[in-house]
Amino acid sequence: MLYAQLFWEYIKNYAKTRLTYRMDFWIEILSDMMFQFMNLIFILIVFRHTPSLGGWSEAEVVFVYGFFMIPYGIFSTFFSIWNFSERYIVKGEMDRILTRPAHNLFQVLLENVDPPSLIGSVVGAIIMFVCWGELGLPFHVMDIVLLAVFVIGAVLVYAGIYTALSAISFYSDAPTGIVPLMYNIQNYGRYPVNIYNKMIRFVLTWLLPFAFVGVIPASYFLEKKADDLSQLALLTPVVGLVFFTLGLLLWNHGVKRYRGAGS
Amino acid sequence: MLAIDVKDLRKQFNVQKNREGLSGALKDLFKREYTEVTAVKDISFQIPQGEICGYIGENGAGKSTTIKMLTGILVPTAGDLRVNGYVPYKDREKFVAEIGVVFGQRSQLWWDIGVIESFQLLRKVYRVSEADFRKRLNNLIERLDLGDLLNRPVRKLSLGQRMRCELVASLLHNPSILFLDEPTIGLDIIVKTEIREFLKDLNREEGTTILLTTHDLQDIEALCSRVIMLDDGRIIYDGGLEDLKNRWSKGREIHFEFSTQTKLATLQALTGDLDVTWKMDNDLTATMWLPHAINVSDALSKVVGGAAIQDIKIVETNTDEIVREIYRSGSASTESEQQAALKETTVS
Repeated sequence: MLYAQLFWEYIKNYAKTRLTYRMDFWIEILSDMMFQFMNLIFILIVFRHTPSLGGWSEAEVVFVYGFFMIPYGIFSTFFSIWNFSERYIVKGEMDRILTRPAHNLFQVLLENVDPPSLIGSVVGAIIMFVCWGELGLPFHVMDIVLLAVFVIGAVLVYAGIYTALSAISFYSDAPTGIVPLMYNIQNYGRYPVNIYNKMIRFVLTWLLPFAFVGVIPASYFLEKKADDLSQLALLTPVVGLVFFTLGLLLWNHGVKRYRGAGS
Repeated sequence: MLAIDVKDLRKQFNVQKNREGLSGALKDLFKREYTEVTAVKDISFQIPQGEICGYIGENGAGKSTTIKMLTGILVPTAGDLRVNGYVPYKDREKFVAEIGVVFGQRSQLWWDIGVIESFQLLRKVYRVSEADFRKRLNNLIERLDLGDLLNRPVRKLSLGQRMRCELVASLLHNPSILFLDEPTIGLDIIVKTEIREFLKDLNREEGTTILLTTHDLQDIEALCSRVIMLDDGRIIYDGGLEDLKNRWSKGREIHFEFSTQTKLATLQALTGDLDVTWKMDNDLTATMWLPHAINVSDALSKVVGGAAIQDIKIVETNTDEIVREIYRSGSASTESEQQAALKETTVS
């Protein structure tokens, strides 16, 4: 309950801050949209050259992409901690966080909420439902519940991996180049994983389970393929919980090693 | 009850060693070497509730590291630590709800929003009821004269205004212990005085225990009944400020202004049987230095008889000088040597 109240307070403050810089607000939304749009164009261009990608049609790949945008938007809203190491470790702002009576990760996340990213989720949902119609997929009420469960699971997968990545800053002196690397890897998860070799597939499914953010849960709603990915779909919330727990444990352990900055 | 109880507290950091040159950097890439630096070396002290204690020492003596351990930010390497009955780093979230922290170099407030919004947010974080919050806030605003600042964003405040707001922010939840890390750094003398007065009142009226680090010894003189002095991670003094002055100041100076030209030899002859030293500033003024063992009136009576004196000024060594002296000797010698030196001065 306390956390819900705090959440609301932080959002209000976010709004107050951001609305004073109006232009900035719109530019951010615009650039977010442009970025997602470019990714979509890329998919469309690929399909100008080939009718199917590893047995997946254009509409199906776009459907997966639409699904991916939903958890990604939610994740970007609540976990925009790309600058964690720089701001909180190097500059020592973690000091302030640690002297306040609320969970430190929660405070860091709230200080960095970025609600405009949610627009990406809305766009993703629209893309998905357009493709849903185009593919003539059957629709059950249960699908909405499952969609929600998958989205939450996918957000947790992301959250766990990035919490763990941010926690590395507690252990390593210098900020590492690992976040951009991860950013590249995560993009693989939006495409059908069967187009990759076995090794990459294994990594994307079990080690850095970005496949659980896009293609695996999305395939549940699509026609069954030869190597049935949708069997794994129901594991999405489990994988999400496991990875988020691991991320949180690593974080909590890391906080104990925090050394502050300067005097 | 003890507010702070520290026993054999130690903090070690692993500091990465950077080898020289490009080849060194390449070697570092594959095999890092670390040096272990002990910032705080087995210190022990106790602070009872309601005390204002000053924590002083040179830069890098370990003051901030200690404060960070006491506030639960850092986990100690070894030793026992109890603040308000809690082990700070273990029950951190419960513990920090009862303390207030001000870091002079770092802001607690949100940069872009009005001060009052920051206070409201802190009210939620600390779970203070609206009624209590109003009462305390009004009281603090009145005391620190903040009325017209509340709606301004922090980035538009002057340092003095910001620091007063920081104090309010740290006190909204009525903490029983207040930690201040260099609270008066960079402030003008008026704001400094205001803040000192405020802290004194706070301590008297609410019984708040205050631990502050500072480089400004006037803060200490104005506020603290007790000083803990740190050097190179060890406590080199723990006791009253007066005591510190008496033990460390070796003597005082008397400035004379004569109405006629007076020779150094004459003056030395007058006080020949006393252990004093003379220094001529010019033909008409001279300075006599005398140790504590000699009575001022004794020394004066000797001089008065033999020279035409126009004016006399007695100067006690001030705390700044004493502390400078201690810092200098403290880093050069060990504790036992200082103890010996101390005894020597008290004997002579």
